[in-house]
Amino acid sequence: MVIVPETISGRQEAQSPSRMTPPALRLRKPSQPAVTSDSVIRAEGVTIRYADFAAVRDVTIEIPDRQVTAIIGPSGCGKSTFLRAINRMNDFIPSMSISGLLTYRGQDIYGPKSDAVDLRRRIGMVFQKPNPFPKTIFKNVAWGASINGYRGDIHELVERALRRAAIWDEVKDKLNQSAFALSGGQQQRLCIARAIALEPDVLLMDEPCSALDPIATARIEDLIDQLKTHYTVVLVTHNMQQAARVSDLTAFMYMGELIEFDATDKIFTTPSEQRTQDYITGRFG
Amino acid sequence: MTTHFVNLLEDLRRRVARMASLVEDMVQEACESVTDTKEGLPDRVIKRDNEVDTEEVAVESEVIRLMALYQPVGSDLRLLCAILKINNDLERVADCAVNIAERARYMTEGAEPHHLETLKEMGILVRNMLRNAIQSFVMEDIETVHKAFVEDDHVDTLYEQTIKRIVADGAASSDGMASQLDVLSVAKNLERIADHATNIAEDVIFLSTGDIVRHGEAVLPSKEE
Repeated sequence: MVIVPETISGRQEAQSPSRMTPPALRLRKPSQPAVTSDSVIRAEGVTIRYADFAAVRDVTIEIPDRQVTAIIGPSGCGKSTFLRAINRMNDFIPSMSISGLLTYRGQDIYGPKSDAVDLRRRIGMVFQKPNPFPKTIFKNVAWGASINGYRGDIHELVERALRRAAIWDEVKDKLNQSAFALSGGQQQRLCIARAIALEPDVLLMDEPCSALDPIATARIEDLIDQLKTHYTVVLVTHNMQQAARVSDLTAFMYMGELIEFDATDKIFTTPSEQRTQDYITGRFG
Repeated sequence: MTTHFVNLLEDLRRRVARMASLVEDMVQEACESVTDTKEGLPDRVIKRDNEVDTEEVAVESEVIRLMALYQPVGSDLRLLCAILKINNDLERVADCAVNIAERARYMTEGAEPHHLETLKEMGILVRNMLRNAIQSFVMEDIETVHKAFVEDDHVDTLYEQTIKRIVADGAASSDGMASQLDVLSVAKNLERIADHATNIAEDVIFLSTGDIVRHGEAVLPSKEE
């Protein structure tokens, strides 16, 4: 499956976003294909600007359900900007504007009916550095569900999230200790547990292992492989070997453009584009 | 580090090219030793086999080292995989050349002229195939590589003809059977060299395109396997 960026004419440029106001107005042309059943995130001609600078240019991609999709590319290629656009984390940057169509399960992420808070509950995010709250391990995981009015058994929810994040056995006897007492790798898995406690549909991971040692990285990579049975994972990484190890599909971005998107084994053995070839073999970037 | 790695890959490619050149010379001399009575030619071929064996181990070690240290991907990975296989094929070609040279020591005077003519023709074809395969690897030239497949069919035909003639000759008379078996052995080894040359050609296609074209067509494992 190769998804080639395609130009969508008739787009309207976005206004500067605010937290509650959708930053762009998009038009769907009748001729555009319908969302395929296994695609969770779909971008059609998405361009994201910071003031006059286009960080992401005319990206068209379909991210499939229950698979790990890695986005690779050199620094400044727009991969994190694109990732953050998926759950509207870029809304907090005043100069950001977006055009084109970005949908989550067929719903326009930046449409007038889109609720950013609800969207982020469905599309969770794990950041580069582990960022646990200054609370106990238990409260870190329970917090999101509590403020969202969770009415079930909170202990069961916390245990399930910690188990899915493959950290339960390490913390089950110290749930009331501070999260800061954990190692970096454990903190990152705790943050993943915190994200999945909200029962999201999609997990966005922005360089989740860059602050971790090789052992902790291996644990997270194993975890990512397990997570895809329950969640769609989109992973941004500088580590090409990591992308090769954990992802089913890999997208290569360069200077804001999506150059190639294909099965990971194809990208890392016989990429179709010379720029992909040059990047993965370290000829540039 | 990337430039360093690229230089190491080029060094390795040149090393394999030198080894290929040595093997090509061995095949040439082995074929000559069948049809000529030049003194010492078979011994020369046999002696050079040690050099090829040593080089094969060194190339394989270097491929493993580069894979472990640099974890190559894309065309670099394909190059190292192709080298690993071509290296093995070249060593086997050298073994075939040695087998031919060993037979040649005894057969020249006893072999029938028509058999020698066929072996000579096979030798020319096989050397041509090997040269094209090696050249296509060195130049990474996919055009040259396709010639190898056509010539392989021709070599197979000549090999089958040789077997039929030996069977027919043997049915007519049992005289000179030892010499006939030497002819058969040489023909078999030439046919094997042609197969190795074909393997090399297939590896060059993999190197260039990533396609696995063994067994007549692309054979890919299913996702479920």
